Order: sequence, then structure tokens, then C-alpha cells
Amino acid sequence: MSTLIKRSAQGWEISHTDDRPNWKTPQDWQQGEPLLLQVDAEIDARFLQASTIAIDFPAFTDGRGLSLAVLLRQRIKYTGELHAIGAIHEDVLHYMVRCGFDVLELPQERCAETALRLLAPYTHHYQESVEQA
Amino acid sequence: MYQYDNFDREFVAERVAHYRDQTQRYLAGQLSEAEFLQLRLRNGLYIQRLAPMLRVAVPYGTLSATQLRMLAQISRRYDRGYGHLSTRQNMQFNWPEIADVPDILHDLASVEMHAIQTSGSCIRNVTTDEFSGAAADELVDPRPYCEIMRQWSTNHPEFDWLPRKFKIAVTGAANDRAAIAVHDIGIRAYKNADDAVVFDIFVGGGLGRTPVLGTAIYSGLPVKHLLTYLESIMRVYNRYGRRDNKYKARIKILVRAMGAEAFKARVEQDWVDIKGGPSTLSDAQVADMVAAFAPPARVTSAAASIDLDALRLEHPTFSHWLHHNVGPHQQANLTVVTLSTKMTGVPPGDVSDEQMDAVAQWAEDHSGGEIRISHEQNFVLPHVPRNALFELWEKARRLDLATANAGLLTNMICCPGGDYCSLANAKSIPVAEAIQRRFDDYDYVHDLGDLDLNISGCMNACGHHHVGNIGILGVDKKGQEFYQISLGGHSGHSGHAASLGQIVGPSFARAEVCDVLAIILNTFVDFRLEGESFLSCFNRIGIAPFKERVYVDAD
Repeated sequence: MSTLIKRSAQGWEISHTDDRPNWKTPQDWQQGEPLLLQVDAEIDARFLQASTIAIDFPAFTDGRGLSLAVLLRQRIKYTGELHAIGAIHEDVLHYMVRCGFDVLELPQERCAETALRLLAPYTHHYQESVEQA
Repeated sequence: MYQYDNFDREFVAERVAHYRDQTQRYLAGQLSEAEFLQLRLRNGLYIQRLAPMLRVAVPYGTLSATQLRMLAQISRRYDRGYGHLSTRQNMQFNWPEIADVPDILHDLASVEMHAIQTSGSCIRNVTTDEFSGAAADELVDPRPYCEIMRQWSTNHPEFDWLPRKFKIAVTGAANDRAAIAVHDIGIRAYKNADDAVVFDIFVGGGLGRTPVLGTAIYSGLPVKHLLTYLESIMRVYNRYGRRDNKYKARIKILVRAMGAEAFKARVEQDWVDIKGGPSTLSDAQVADMVAAFAPPARVTSAAASIDLDALRLEHPTFSHWLHHNVGPHQQANLTVVTLSTKMTGVPPGDVSDEQMDAVAQWAEDHSGGEIRISHEQNFVLPHVPRNALFELWEKARRLDLATANAGLLTNMICCPGGDYCSLANAKSIPVAEAIQRRFDDYDYVHDLGDLDLNISGCMNACGHHHVGNIGILGVDKKGQEFYQISLGGHSGHSGHAASLGQIVGPSFARAEVCDVLAIILNTFVDFRLEGESFLSCFNRIGIAPFKERVYVDAD
């Protein structure tokens, strides 16, 4: 069972599900399917054809997935769902949200309530961002 | 100087609350050591050899009197009544309790200060010339651009989890006192033929295990493009910098591996898409920030006009101090004063609460309320009227802050070393003290002239030994402390280009260091031409004569 924190019109919502998308890597992915990217992936305009995209974080300290997310949002203007999966930690979610992720898949040992509380610890920001408000 | 607006105040207050929450979860066992480590580092807290160490950010080395008084108060309330001026212009406290840190951060926030991103793999405090906004040789005041970068880099959503720490330094003067050649990004600000401020951007400089001088990748960058261009550099580094080996994770290794041309091409390829985009600086934004750094209202002194020449004759030590520690200001009636912390017997950069309070008072009395911290670990009062100099010197002398050694051998840069730091291979403070005791004759040290001696207790090079004219590096040989000496390094000030020192040969036991230094200095004295500095002499004669004499008995 994984815990999803997902942005909706009403704000962020927690759900628990076993029903995960059938993620495909870029090698065997086809248009219309969910696409799973590693943090060192290069972006490709074909990704706009994905039904949904996930970026897999190998460690919560690995910022490559943040830059990759920004590139998807800013460069190829991907507007679909963007999932953060892998080594996700309550204390880095606020960065992820501002880099354009809108579905956060928490590992089992993490605390959903803490995560929800720490999604936006700051009212204002010093930078522009690609947050999907 | 820059004053917080409501936005800054609210942000820093939220950061304190955020960190308090993280600390409480750690103390309650909800965060592991490894998880909390990453969070506390980004709030300035290290766990050192003996106790935690809190590094407080002093943005581009600028402090108000009120802020310095708060640092004094924090040192009394939470520490042992002293602080340490770091080589990156910050203030470190060596003995805080982990549980007290949120309260310390709260106290700092009350005077518009914080400890955000003073450690960890993120963009660190931007450093600059300690004489900025005052120095006579200044082309552009770098502080407005430093503050723009401070704000941009604070809690950056994309760049807070880099492969490794990231240091930016800016100079806007003819003499580079910010050592921009040895930073991840070095920025030189000047005015172009149209009188517009522009920047030359250098990347990939650094000290540590693999010392490298930065390479220029952009000349004449207009101000409005500063942040988008930096964003592209950071993105290329964040994506392609090595994460498998922390010793190969700095941007210098990436630039070297890719080649500077290929790195620059990658940056420009990224930049094409964001250049002129939302992060472009408007003229109004820049003008507002420049206005925030207007010079203090006319600084005057109540003292009657004084006859400096007569006082110099009467007080030779005052005369020495004027010669070395007082420099020219942009305004003829003002001067820039260095208050040296390098008194023999005191660890370089350590300052007591009493000294901090006093310097704050002198800043209010004689320097428009402003203080700077230099990368050479001294205090600077940037706007002192000429006729206040004698009064200031007398006050500073009583508190051991008037040693006349700015620019000289005994004004050593020195990291905390093995006495405090858990990374160190060897102690550095006792070496500094031994050198100061051995070379305590003012006339001799003065006769040697300009000489940068820098000491680091390990390869991480916090004491900048690679760019000391004489550099001393602590190394570990089978559990014994040894010291490697290098010659000819330079950080890029005083008209010389930056250079990295050459190792003179096999290392020495601690007890030998002063004798070896004496041989090196005597060699210089024997070989120098009239008026020649140590560095100029070294550049002319090379390392061979030094080597020959240092190891004469070795065979």
C-alpha cells in the first residue's frame, strides 16, 4: 500500500492505494503510457505524449530530479501529472512542489501527516518557480 | 546597508519555525542522525570534535553595530563568551547545545540575521571585498549584487541539493580582495565603455584536495541577465556534477572533465531558453537594491582636527598601525581601518564578547554604524574619519585589536584545525602561535613587507594555504602531525594575478616549522632586490634557492 499526496482543485489530498500506474522506462514506453524517468534522464519532446510521468529519486539528497522536473515543466512545457517516487522524505517535499511535482508517493515508513504539514512551510519565495498552482 | 523588509522578516521567522519543528522531531526520535544531519547543516549546525558548532551567516561580511551586539550576547548566553571569524566572513560559535539552536536562530532573526545555508551541499554565503562601498580602488560596489544573489539562492527550490557545497565570490575593485579565482563561481564587476555595470564570470576555481584557478566563461554579462545565467550554470552542475565520490563532486572537477569550452556551451544551450525570462532583473529592481547600499549619512567626528604627523612622531606604534592597518577611502576625509585579531597568544579570528561589544560601539562612534568581517579573519571599520583615528587606535589598543600587522607575516589566515574541527589532520592554532612568538619583532616583520602566510589543518584548505605566499598544510603521517610548506601562492590582490603555491618538499614535524620558516625568510632577505616583496622575489628566483637551503642538511 503506498501513500499518495496529490494536488487537487481543493488543495492537497492524501490517498492510500495499491493501484499504481504501469510505469514504463523510456526504452519500452509508447505514446499514451505512463513514463518512468531516472534522475539522470535527458528530456525529449516525445515525453509530452506520456499519460503521466514519474521521476524516481535514488536518495532524498539527490537534487537531479528537481532539475529534471523543472526542465519538463519549463522546456517542453509538460502540463500533465508529475509523480515523485523513490526515496521521498517529508522535509524535501516543499522543494519538489515548487519544482513542479503534483503527486508525491511517500515510502511506507514516512509520516503522511507530517508530510502534509510541511508541504509549504513558507508563505513567500525569493525565486520564480514552476509550481503547478 | 541592506535592511530587511516584511518579506525577509516573514521568511526568516518561518525558517526558524521550520527548523524548530525539525529539531523537535529529531529529539523525539522521528528523524535519524543521517536525515537530521542534512537539515541541520542547511541551518549552519555542525557536530564537531568536542561539541556542535553553529556558523552564523554574515552576508558578504557586512554587519551593523546592533547585529554585532547580538552576536556578543549570543556568545554569552549560549556559548563561552567568544566567537570565531571565519575565512568566509561568517561568525562561528563553538559550544552551543543542539536543543538551544532554534532559540539562537530566533534571537538572530530579531536583528535580521540567520544561519541558512552556511553549510551543506547548497549555495553558501556569497562573499566579497571587505572594503566594498569604501575602498578607493573600487570600480563597482559589489554588495547590491551580492544581496540579489543572497535572496535568489536562499531556499532555492532546485539548487538546495547539489552534488557538493557551492561558493560564489564577487569583487568590484581593481585589487581582488575576494579571491574570486578560487571559488566555484567568481564574479568580477566593472563598468563597460557605456558606463553600465557588467560582470565577467569565472567557474571551476577552488582549493581543497585539487586546487584550481577558475576559467572565464563569460565576459561583460549585463546585470539584468545575472540570475538567469547563474541558473544555467547551477543547472548544468546539478545535473552533471559527480555524486559518487565527494572528493570529485565540486564543479571544478566537472569543468575539468568536460573542458571549459564544452561546459560553457552546455550552459549557453540551457541559457537560451531562460534568457530574458521571468528571473531577468528589471532596472527598477537593481536600482532599489543599489539604493539600499547608499553610503551612511555623512560620517563626522566630534574630535577637533588632529595633527597626525605630530602624533606619529610621538607614538611610533600608532605610526605603524596607520601605515599597515589604515587604508584609503573613496572620500578624502575618511579611511578604512582593519582591526587585527592576530594578537600573539590568541587563536587567529577569535573574538571575545567584550571585543564584539566594543567594536559595535566604535562602529557607532566612528564608522556610520557599520562593521565588516574580512576573509583574513579581522574586523574592518569601513568609514572612519581621519581625525578619529588616534582616538580609535587608543581604544582598540586597550582591547588588543590594534596589532599593526595587516598584510604582514603575523596576520595569518588560520583555520580552527585539530583543536576544534573533526576533519582536521593536524592542529593549526598552536603553529600560528609559535610563529607569532618566534617572529615578534615589529621591525623585522615590517622589513619583510607584504607577506600572506596561510595555515590549514587539512586538505579541505579552509585556511587557504594554496594561495598563501607561504602556505602551511597539516598532514597526518602514521598518526603523527606533520606540516607541508608551499611557496608562491597568491589570492589575487595587490596587483598580482592569483596563483597556487608550489610544495617546497617533504613535510616537517611541528617543532621544525618555525626553523624552516626562518630559513625561508632569510633566503628571501638574501635574494630580494630593493623594495621587492616576497611574492615578486619568489616569482623571479623560483623555488630552487629555497629548496636548496631548507633541505641542506637532509642528505
